[in-house]
Amino acid sequence: MKIAMMSFAHLHAVSYIRALKQLDGVEVIASDPDHSSRPEGEIGGPSLAAELGVDYYDDYATLLAQRPDGVIICSENAKHRELTELAAAAGAHVMSEKPIATSTADARAMIEACRKADRYLMVAYPVRFSSAFAATKAAYDAGSLGQVLAVTGTNNGRIPLDARSWFVDPELAGGGSLADHTVHVADLLDSLFDGTRAAEVYASVNKILHADKVEVETGGLVSIRYANGVLATIDCSWSKPPNYPTWGGLTLQLVGTGGIADMDAFNSRVDGFSELDRKSLWLAYGRDADAQLVGEFVSAIREGRPPQPDGEAGLRSMEIVEAAYQSVRTGAPVAIG
Amino acid sequence: MAESAPPFTVGMVGAGSIARVHLSSWLSLGVRVLVYAPHDPAPLLSEVGGGEAVGSLDELLSRVDAVDVVTPTTSHAEVVRAAAAAGRHVLCEKPFALTSAEAEGMIAACADAGVQLYPAHVVRYFPEYVTMHDAVTAGKIGEIAVQRFTRAGSRPVREWYLDDALSGGIVIDQSIHDLDFARWNAGEVATVFARDTGSDPAVPVRSCQVILTHTSGAISYVNGTWARPGTKFRTTFQIAGTGGLLQHDSAEHRPLVVDGGRADEAGTGLLPDISLGESPYLTEIREFHAAFTRNEPTRVTADDGLAAVRIAEAAAESIRTGQPVRLAAGTTTAPTPAEEATR
Repeated sequence: MKIAMMSFAHLHAVSYIRALKQLDGVEVIASDPDHSSRPEGEIGGPSLAAELGVDYYDDYATLLAQRPDGVIICSENAKHRELTELAAAAGAHVMSEKPIATSTADARAMIEACRKADRYLMVAYPVRFSSAFAATKAAYDAGSLGQVLAVTGTNNGRIPLDARSWFVDPELAGGGSLADHTVHVADLLDSLFDGTRAAEVYASVNKILHADKVEVETGGLVSIRYANGVLATIDCSWSKPPNYPTWGGLTLQLVGTGGIADMDAFNSRVDGFSELDRKSLWLAYGRDADAQLVGEFVSAIREGRPPQPDGEAGLRSMEIVEAAYQSVRTGAPVAIG
Repeated sequence: MAESAPPFTVGMVGAGSIARVHLSSWLSLGVRVLVYAPHDPAPLLSEVGGGEAVGSLDELLSRVDAVDVVTPTTSHAEVVRAAAAAGRHVLCEKPFALTSAEAEGMIAACADAGVQLYPAHVVRYFPEYVTMHDAVTAGKIGEIAVQRFTRAGSRPVREWYLDDALSGGIVIDQSIHDLDFARWNAGEVATVFARDTGSDPAVPVRSCQVILTHTSGAISYVNGTWARPGTKFRTTFQIAGTGGLLQHDSAEHRPLVVDGGRADEAGTGLLPDISLGESPYLTEIREFHAAFTRNEPTRVTADDGLAAVRIAEAAAESIRTGQPVRLAAGTTTAPTPAEEATR
């Protein structure tokens, strides 16, 4: 089994490659042709490949000529479509970093490209694979919450400026915190509600945090009414301070007729304080969701079954983001469907 | 206080659950309390161990210095107007009223009579909220960008709460605490969008979700939940600003937890909270007592009570229409934290 990494623009490429290398019988190759045009100090290209111990190719054509079974796309969001089309045409199954794309049109084109080539399309939503969400989904599926009526989700993090500047580029990223963070929570609800689509979306955003540094929104609240009647609000803000002890976090609260469930996806940790560094310590333990995620992609290819979350799931969370931006422009709720 | 001085006398109207905490607070300040309620207040008086029952509202108004209105919401206006007409200062439980028009009428009646009027927005007196607000006002987290407030507990058992015509529903009855606080922190509200799971009494859970856009550009999420009987009361907030973050979760920040080794009747395995420090209700009542007796300033005013009703009213309209509701400029007139800091 050969897996090719297309681009190191998203640094999840590093954790995915490390996880892939732990799997038996998986060879990892990579290409990062845009590395030389990145701002100074942003790692990538052959030197990062060497550090990770994977074979490197200078361009995507040569990479795909190695006939990988699957590719993982860690490019800038706006390039997911182009690379998916290249990979599918070359006969590779595709896992794209989230969000699936920067528009529903691109997402649909990606689904179509993979369908035509008879290849799988998966979207990288690691929180689906966290032990916290697995337990939440088990409780939900077992009916212990009764009928879930309302959900509050939060995905707050530090502004992703340090490692990669494209994250705050409206064209390359497809927006700011709303595009970056809404989809993680939306995907969990997509899993819980078995692909139920959003019916109507309202959003309010602002740019008070880091106002002097970026053009995109940094704060946002997204209200969703799902087709099954569930109400959800997602706080997608980049509101963790730059020196916060960890990158951020994700929480989900489900309010049901049978009870209230509170999930904190990153609560399996040891807290502490380092006098040496004069800062708090957050030491995570437990299941590595990134490893589970790439494991699902590899297993699905091996077993000849479509992986989840698939392109359709990615499209459904993209629909919410697109409607949210439309709501921000119009100031009114936007119907989907 | 000299023994010969007549004690300050408060007339409490109503004998429900809030009446209990108000009565004990007034009594602990050495205030004489007369209580009038359509239903016999004797059980309340004997439970709290103080206060005197009177037979009519008129008798109460003729014998007191100030009136504490702790009746169901729909009768607030009538009692407040009667108190104002009798020339008595008024403390009125939140919400002031179910409509801003009614709240405006209450304020006008008290202004015309030259008496003080305050809304009992007690969350402004809860120590964790006071500590947070003081830090915000002191600029410790810079300019506010995104706020979240949640408030959840067992669905009220008294039937009038469940009838939207009487209580106004969860937004105006419960979430108004957080709507008021969001505005206290981040200033005027420009736009309100809200959704609600509905008021069907057969469904044991009700939850509302409100998004406020402040004129400053800050955004606030307010979430209220009435859940199954036995659900432990819980509040959380997170305030994110340009200079940092403030957060609190009543389920986590507990100075003492006692595990009795057995689940309670609701099967939740939880024992009642042990309250440490002064009751926020006493802090609140002390401040209003000082205002009534010595004209001292209060942290919450009648205009704040009106503004909170306006925001809740807008949320109710948004729930009804499905559309965001814009509040006219100047509809709410809270000082910004910056203005407050310079006072």
